[in-house]
Amino acid sequence: MNLLAFAVRRLAGAAVLLVLLSAAVFAATAVLPGDAVSAVAGVDASAAQRAEVRADLGLDRPAAERYAAWAADALRGDLGRGFVGERPVADVLATRLPNSLLLAELTLAVTAPLAALLGLWTGMRGGGADRVVSASAQILAAVPEFVVAALLVAVLAVWLEVLPRVSVIPLGGTPLDVPHALVLPVLTLSTVGLAVATRLLRASVADTAATPYCEAARLNGVRGVRLAVRHITPNAAGPAVQALTLTTGALVGSAVVVENVFDYPGIGRELQLAVAARDVPMVQGIATALVAVMLAVLLLGDICARLLGAREEHGR
Amino acid sequence: MTTVLTPPSRRVRPNRPGTPARRRPPLVTGAVALLLLLLALLGPQAAPHSPTAQLAAPFQQPGGEFLLGTDVLGRDVASRVLSGGRGIVLTALAGTAAAGAVGLTAGVLAAMVSRRLGDLLVRCVDALAVLPALLVVLVLAAGFPGSAAALVAAVALATAPFSTRVLRAAADPVLSSGYVEAAVARGDTRRAVLRHDVLPNIAGPALTDTALRLVASLHLTATAGFLGLGPGGAEPDWGRMVSENAPGATLAVAPFLAPALLLVLLSVCVGLLAGRLADTVGRGAA
Repeated sequence: MNLLAFAVRRLAGAAVLLVLLSAAVFAATAVLPGDAVSAVAGVDASAAQRAEVRADLGLDRPAAERYAAWAADALRGDLGRGFVGERPVADVLATRLPNSLLLAELTLAVTAPLAALLGLWTGMRGGGADRVVSASAQILAAVPEFVVAALLVAVLAVWLEVLPRVSVIPLGGTPLDVPHALVLPVLTLSTVGLAVATRLLRASVADTAATPYCEAARLNGVRGVRLAVRHITPNAAGPAVQALTLTTGALVGSAVVVENVFDYPGIGRELQLAVAARDVPMVQGIATALVAVMLAVLLLGDICARLLGAREEHGR
Repeated sequence: MTTVLTPPSRRVRPNRPGTPARRRPPLVTGAVALLLLLLALLGPQAAPHSPTAQLAAPFQQPGGEFLLGTDVLGRDVASRVLSGGRGIVLTALAGTAAAGAVGLTAGVLAAMVSRRLGDLLVRCVDALAVLPALLVVLVLAAGFPGSAAALVAAVALATAPFSTRVLRAAADPVLSSGYVEAAVARGDTRRAVLRHDVLPNIAGPALTDTALRLVASLHLTATAGFLGLGPGGAEPDWGRMVSENAPGATLAVAPFLAPALLLVLLSVCVGLLAGRLADTVGRGAA
């Protein structure tokens, strides 16, 4: 019951935040109507043409009024149409977002078990292996994703020629039709994600391993896998999940970059194209959708961490 | 009484067991980082050719007239590599400085005002932190196309929320210490308390935080260059060079590998230095 109230309160908070942040996105992109007009009418349009386009796009109305109209439409699932090709933003989201989510799921499936193993191993053991893994993770986390991607491309696609350089997905197909096109994007994202997740998990495990009750368990002869599964994981999981959800923002950023490196047809690629084409409605719609996804993940992370924390209290 | 009046950062804390008492100073990392910074800042003067002129056929092999060959448009790669770091480094430094200033002001302010108001301020800052950093950069780039100032602002906006949190947490115990209470009680002005009692005591955390923000800023600036945001056109930029020349990677490796490796070296060295700084300050202070 308590959990339900907690979830509802967090949900309300997230909704308020979504409204505020979408307004911020709208303000950042829509306060300068000149650029939107140039994008549609062309740079060398006459003053009369520009005024006509301005009225067409509704840019002669005050920004607050436009935001209210946009938000009311967005609530009904209509995010407007992009300037380029007049595509409905909601349709683009519906076709591209699943591709990006697939990428995220595959990355999570690769990263989570590996990071858990590495984090437990280095956090419990310490010593030389810990230093090597921690230093490599620190180095990997500092390098921009596109550089990691470029180096992987250089080795695997150019030098060894085992994988395609770009992820060409057949028209109307899904990325699952061409699994080999997914390998490099998932590999890049997993490398970056693994570096970040291992560091966070290691810290959480090391903190737990230093607690008196783990010391007591160790003195009682509980060691190795049993110590990890019975004593450390249940207590380290809560803080670790919370820390991991906070890195979702970085993961969204990484995904945008990786999709662009490999021309993967995801929402990040679409966002970058929209930014390059000054397609304001598209940028607004995609950015707001990404913020909504972020908030949903943070909410889920909070609830998971609370569930894991609650189990610890019951168990003890 | 003396213990109460000792500023928090001066309090001696025993080392945790297991942490080595003293490590060698990071001379090699520091030297490489310094060298790379000099290369990035002074490189444009040393460029043998114009970095933007098309001089020869695309993707010529290294050697001969062009030390690293030519790129996708037949421009000299060596000159572009020498000139391509300045923008990244300067934007990252400006973004870090702006984020540091905003973070320090907001953090100290949040610690100085009443607890309720401070919590509200941090709550607002947390709302900003929800936005993925790259999304901030992309949205601002869409609103202000090709603007370097917008890129600096985006980098600062994306990294400042964390600084605010960290510095509020650092300033809070200092402001409630007996040390500051004594200063206030003897009638020091608020500004004098800030300048002589608070700022010196949060300088360590502020410095560490700024170093960590610099790592993030470099990361973000390089990525923005790769995505073609910020000042565009033919200007060289290590990030953009990677994206321009990646399609021709089978024809010539140098044009895309050279800037990529320089970026790796730069981010790794700065990252390691920031990590060491955090360790050192973290062990010395509370």
